[in-house]
Amino acid sequence: MNVRLTLRLLGGLLVFLAAAMALPLPFAFTDGTTLAFLLSIAASGGAGMILLLAFPVRGEIGVREGFGIVTLAWLSFSVFGALPFVISGAIPGPIDAVFESMSGFTTTGATVITDLAPVPDAILFWRALTHWLGGMGIIVLSLAILPLLGVGGMQLFQAEVPGPTADKLAPRIQDTAKALWGAYVLLTAVQTVLLLFGGMNLHEALCHAFATMATGGFSTENASVGAWGPYVHWVITLFMFLAGVNFAFHYAALFRRSPSTYLKSEELRLFAFIVLAATGLTAGWNAFSGQALGDAVRDAAFTVVSIVTTTGFATADYELWPAFPLAVIVALMLIGGCAGSTGGGVKVVRVLLVLKHAGLQLQRLIHPREVRLLKFDDHVVPVEITRSVLAFVILYSSLFVAGSLAMAACGLDLLTAAGSSIACLGNIGPAVGGVGPTDNYAFIPAAGKVVLIFLMLLGRLEVYTVLVLALPSFWRR
Amino acid sequence: MKAIVVGSGEVGYHIADRLSREGQDVTVIEKDPDRAQELGERLNARILEGNGASPEVLEKAEAGQADLFIAVTDLDEVNIIACLLVAELSPEGGGPRRIARVKSVEYEREDGKLNARKLGIDKLINPQATVATEISNLVGYGAATGVAEFAGGRVLVLGYPLATDSPLAGVSLRELGEIRGSMYPLVIAAVTRQEKTLIPGGDDELKAGDTVYFACRRHELPAVRYLFGLSDEESVRRVFVLGGGRVGRQVARRLAKDKGFRVTVVDRNERNCKSIARDIAGVRVLNTDGTDLETLREEGLDLADVFVAVTQDDKANILCSLLAKRVGAERAIALVDQPEFVTLAPSLGVDACLSARLATAAAILKHVRGGLVETLSMLATGDAEVLEMVLPGDNPHLEKPLKTLRLPDDSIIASIVRGEEAIIPSGDDVLKEGDHVVLFALPSAVPKLQGYLGNDRRRS
Repeated sequence: MNVRLTLRLLGGLLVFLAAAMALPLPFAFTDGTTLAFLLSIAASGGAGMILLLAFPVRGEIGVREGFGIVTLAWLSFSVFGALPFVISGAIPGPIDAVFESMSGFTTTGATVITDLAPVPDAILFWRALTHWLGGMGIIVLSLAILPLLGVGGMQLFQAEVPGPTADKLAPRIQDTAKALWGAYVLLTAVQTVLLLFGGMNLHEALCHAFATMATGGFSTENASVGAWGPYVHWVITLFMFLAGVNFAFHYAALFRRSPSTYLKSEELRLFAFIVLAATGLTAGWNAFSGQALGDAVRDAAFTVVSIVTTTGFATADYELWPAFPLAVIVALMLIGGCAGSTGGGVKVVRVLLVLKHAGLQLQRLIHPREVRLLKFDDHVVPVEITRSVLAFVILYSSLFVAGSLAMAACGLDLLTAAGSSIACLGNIGPAVGGVGPTDNYAFIPAAGKVVLIFLMLLGRLEVYTVLVLALPSFWRR
Repeated sequence: MKAIVVGSGEVGYHIADRLSREGQDVTVIEKDPDRAQELGERLNARILEGNGASPEVLEKAEAGQADLFIAVTDLDEVNIIACLLVAELSPEGGGPRRIARVKSVEYEREDGKLNARKLGIDKLINPQATVATEISNLVGYGAATGVAEFAGGRVLVLGYPLATDSPLAGVSLRELGEIRGSMYPLVIAAVTRQEKTLIPGGDDELKAGDTVYFACRRHELPAVRYLFGLSDEESVRRVFVLGGGRVGRQVARRLAKDKGFRVTVVDRNERNCKSIARDIAGVRVLNTDGTDLETLREEGLDLADVFVAVTQDDKANILCSLLAKRVGAERAIALVDQPEFVTLAPSLGVDACLSARLATAAAILKHVRGGLVETLSMLATGDAEVLEMVLPGDNPHLEKPLKTLRLPDDSIIASIVRGEEAIIPSGDDVLKEGDHVVLFALPSAVPKLQGYLGNDRRRS
């Protein structure tokens, strides 16, 4: 790996982070956190400038540099992004602050803040902004607006964008990044306006729109979205669903006037089916168990969409639901959103491909000579992609098990250990046990938090990008 | 008529032979000197040794002054360039009708980048597509060994084998006429007996083992089948296609897509199998050999209604067809190109044999005569043709009952299409101006028919 080039680009990205930290300043002027933000800006901006000046190199970004830059960028963003929390005193512990920051950038939404009421507005805004920056991807954003990463952008794009196949919308990767961010910004703006009509002020509306479109899950209230009425619930349900859909489709529908793209996607059809079926099952079961039908449908739809898109907002404590609807919710945690969305998890397309592959294997038992190909959206899926998807699912499952073991070793009970592991690996936020929708992550010991920080990073960068850095041959030539 | 044939492979040879037998002035252009030598001894035609795509050779053949130019070499490009050159050599707005054999499907499409019109070719003939169409038609018609449709599908010409227990075995055509009365309107137009085709007269008897070709109206087919002692249209559902080449793919696609059959394609080449599975939806693909009976039975060959063998190997097609029937396939259709095998295979038990060579020759001959007569189809054995003629107003035989007409020997009127009406004629029907007459004839009778039903008395 070309370390000098990697560090130079990292410097550029840190300067960019410093610029982003200026955005909460309007709120900071009124709540006394101005100094904290100015210091944070100085720290990351300064570090960035030093790297830029120290390594005045040019060169091609190769596959290795791509993986290296993306992983380092996410790690350093989480560290520098934690500065406002620490300096302002909102989260005094450095590990806690990095946890919160990583949870923000990876759009996990797991928090260590026990009570949100005394937290200053600017800090709440920064938490939401970390979601929004991380949702579409900090590299994708940089590609869209910074000329710095021009050469070799494709390597970076592929290392960061979720899903087995990264769709290129335009011949130039920069234009693709701009297209994705265009759709992202537009949807966020529309949702903000709709939330303003629901009784939120501008600060609350922006924070929730950021957290929704990024499928993050940080709220400004202790009761999460439950603090607002049914209108807000439905608006957020709708936009969480949209955020769980491939943004390439949104781009085609919004800017190319071809909404039929939505209907052609096998993955989207399955995603919509999963959401509708899970909502129907949980709503029906809860209504049958005595909840008013209207509330049951609204709570079920909100919770199902919130969990399957890996957002993690809550309006109801699903841990109080009967066993079956709760099991449905837990099952959704294992699926996740669509490829190319801001959602995390295994992704619907991978689940679909693995199931189809398994179906073909079954067929092969009775029809050994029959030639059947794995088709997706009417195209034959190359064997290499199938293999890569299978390996991903295996690695992902292994990480989940390893994470659960580590958390249990930190002293958590079995349910909480497994729950926190999947909630962070899948970038969901709330899970079950001690980390349910009404709980938080403050009580977890420091070692456990470090494990979870890495699980969040692995989940957001889809395992491979981070894990290749652990290969000895990555560093050798 | 002056005809030029470029290329003397199986198709070219067959066409040249046919045209010269009809008394046409044929020139054959052949590249291979040995083959040219051989042709000189076998064909009653002028043989020119040289490249058909060379201007010099074409000028020598006086291609610009010919009436008909047929390019049927194995190479698409040579055929196309030859036709283009002939267009250049021809006088303004004139020149011969140009027919080219082209294997690539891309040129066939009307919306293609280069279609027949843009290339200045009157007719593109695709042998594989032609034979695939014939096979797909055959599969749909019960036990038929040959099938053609006329007058927009209102008139069918079908060939059925006569079983030993058929009620028609031993019946003469005259008796048959008395039995059927007006209930089962059909014309028995040809009979294939012991590998020879004859156009039967009233005293000829039908015998068990004959293949009987007849014309009837589509909606009356069930009644006619009943007359033949055949059960009602058996519902064809499961079809096995051996061989995933060009022909196999087209047959599979047609049968699966247009007719909704359950099609299984069998091919021993794995890459071929994969590309079929990718390109043709709704078709099952098995990667195995046609002789792997265990697997084929496992996959339901014993329940198959039709087994279609269309590999490039004649012998494999015949052999696998017989094996498939033994396993339990209801019927078998084989693609057989070698002329000797075409007549042999039916006697072995293959229900129908088709030849890409014959199908192509038929398709080309269809466009050869122009104007008055068109060849529509050929019987499997290749020695009888189905023709269509449009009657001119000055023909002396109009408005007379058919029984008083003296048609040339070895020819028979199978059907008359008058506007929207399709007539299966009896002796009392008459011909009218503008009628489209569908005829069966042996090749020797074709020129005579042209004179008799046309207006050209010099040739009658």
